[in-house]
Amino acid sequence: MQDLTNTNQSKATSGMGSNLSAATAALAAVTMFLSACKKEQIGLYELNEVQLLPDAANKDKLKTNQQFVSILYTNLFQAGLPGGDVFELDQLFQSIGDKDLAKEVLISNFFNDASVQLPTTTEMNSDLDGFIENTYKRFFIRLPNEAEKTWLRNFIQSNQYITPEIVYFSFALSNEYKYY
Amino acid sequence: MKRREFIAKSALTATGALASPYILPSGRLFAPTGNRSSQHVVLVMFAGGVRHQESVDMSYLLGSQIIDPYAGNIMYNMLTGEAPIAKIAYGTGQGGINPIPQLDYFNTQGTLQSQGTLFKEVKALAAGHFGGLNSIIQGADVNGQGLKQRPLYPTIFEYLRRHGGYSATDVWFVGNTIDGSLPLLNYSGNPDYGIKYGANFLAPNVTFSDPGANHLSHGKIYHPENELAPMFALKTFLDNTFSQYGNALDELGNTEEEKQNIKTFMNLMYEKVANGTNMLPPVHDNGDAWTVGFAAEVMSHFKPAFMCVNLSSVDVCHSNFTGYVQALHRADHAVGFLWDMIQSDPELAGNTDIICIPECGRNANPNSILDVNSWAAYDHSDANALRIWSLMAGPSFQQNLVIGSETEVIGQVSDAMLTVADLLGVKPEVAASPYLAAYTDSFIHQIEIHG
Repeated sequence: MQDLTNTNQSKATSGMGSNLSAATAALAAVTMFLSACKKEQIGLYELNEVQLLPDAANKDKLKTNQQFVSILYTNLFQAGLPGGDVFELDQLFQSIGDKDLAKEVLISNFFNDASVQLPTTTEMNSDLDGFIENTYKRFFIRLPNEAEKTWLRNFIQSNQYITPEIVYFSFALSNEYKYY
Repeated sequence: MKRREFIAKSALTATGALASPYILPSGRLFAPTGNRSSQHVVLVMFAGGVRHQESVDMSYLLGSQIIDPYAGNIMYNMLTGEAPIAKIAYGTGQGGINPIPQLDYFNTQGTLQSQGTLFKEVKALAAGHFGGLNSIIQGADVNGQGLKQRPLYPTIFEYLRRHGGYSATDVWFVGNTIDGSLPLLNYSGNPDYGIKYGANFLAPNVTFSDPGANHLSHGKIYHPENELAPMFALKTFLDNTFSQYGNALDELGNTEEEKQNIKTFMNLMYEKVANGTNMLPPVHDNGDAWTVGFAAEVMSHFKPAFMCVNLSSVDVCHSNFTGYVQALHRADHAVGFLWDMIQSDPELAGNTDIICIPECGRNANPNSILDVNSWAAYDHSDANALRIWSLMAGPSFQQNLVIGSETEVIGQVSDAMLTVADLLGVKPEVAASPYLAAYTDSFIHQIEIHG
């Protein structure tokens, strides 16, 4: 009985081992089949769209009167404007309704000051591209693009009366210079 | 597109084309529909909170200072009435004992009141300065108007420029200071109007002060064709480049010619002030007198269609009643000087109208502050502070006429603005505005009714 039992157990065990091997083989075959049939993965990587704009596009904050006069003075004289003068010029700007006109008057007063830092016309013409780049950097804190550079180069070359002062005046009066 | 849809869209397009505004050569959208009856109008915002009692009631100290019950008229260029005979402290010299003499012009021609119409009892819409000033220039009830904020609704300057086609230098606002948000009053924040229809503003006591002379009077003169033309050509190029990013600002709209004219005026003023030859009332020992002197210069130089000038020295009344009566006496003297100057200018005489109106009154009862004469001071916050008046003169107004009384309020502060619009030909457009205070009416129309 006991033997029989052992024999039966042995048969059963032997049968189970056979079944397991078959299942393992089937599983392996399925796995191999599936992996063999798997489509090749193509790596696809996307970037968020970024709108590329020139530096000027980021200037959307209007300078206050005090910021404007301080920056202008620094650009023209390469020195800081004394605090008392900043206060007085702010008050003067408040007292004039047409701010553009007030700026014109102030700039023309600055240019009448002997200590204003300007390249000479000869220096400008001897290195026109350098002058244009430096002017953009000085007033707009950026480099000109090729179109701007070309237009300004042609403009200066075709006008005999253009001086660095006239160029600086135009940049100081421009809308871009009102913003930072 | 279906046939029905096509017809509907065609009809809409046709209607739109018919209704779309035609831009006139002057830049305005529509021709003004009103009649312009005056060539020049001066509006004086008088003068920082004026009590009815010391002005048109001619009470002087009677009622306000129990210890000194003396009545009399201390505004005898503008108003008709006898001056006080005792306790004189509003004049010049030590203690203000020397009254400023009546200007010769009024001595011979009669007071401003006799030359025009006095609305004796007018209602103010605000008891404070900024609200009061806003109610004058907007013609609106200014509830919700904040300090340090541009007018909520269009100002008379913008109505004139947008609907009347007046140029920027045709419309001036001369302020006595840059304090109290005054420089914000030359145009509103209303999106349909705004800076491009604003007035040229000057606070000449600041602009032509010593700092002004130091910083702004030594401008370089540029050749208009050889230098200015390329300068602005380059500026245009730079602005066009920058405009691609949408940051261009609207401007006040002075043309280049107008800008040059203003610069010429500024240089002239610096020169005159330096030489001591700028126009000034005979007595000019306070800021209002200087403001009016420069206002006279603006009138003389630009001959504008409209000039508004603000005075405010009487506001010293918060703490100094003696200073108040002195400032009131000088404000009368200054306005008299301005009218005298206008009558002596061939281009302005006979075709200029003037309207004077306080922005608010002052309280019935004093505060606790006593001055050197032991006179009590007055603030402005009660019902008495809403009692004002308006005096107007010139060819458009009936002479020697008084309308209204203490028991009969006729007119309100917003009427002044509509009167300016009436005189300068834009009344229909302004009257149709949804922003006007209720019951606003032109003083001219009210004269026709009550005169």
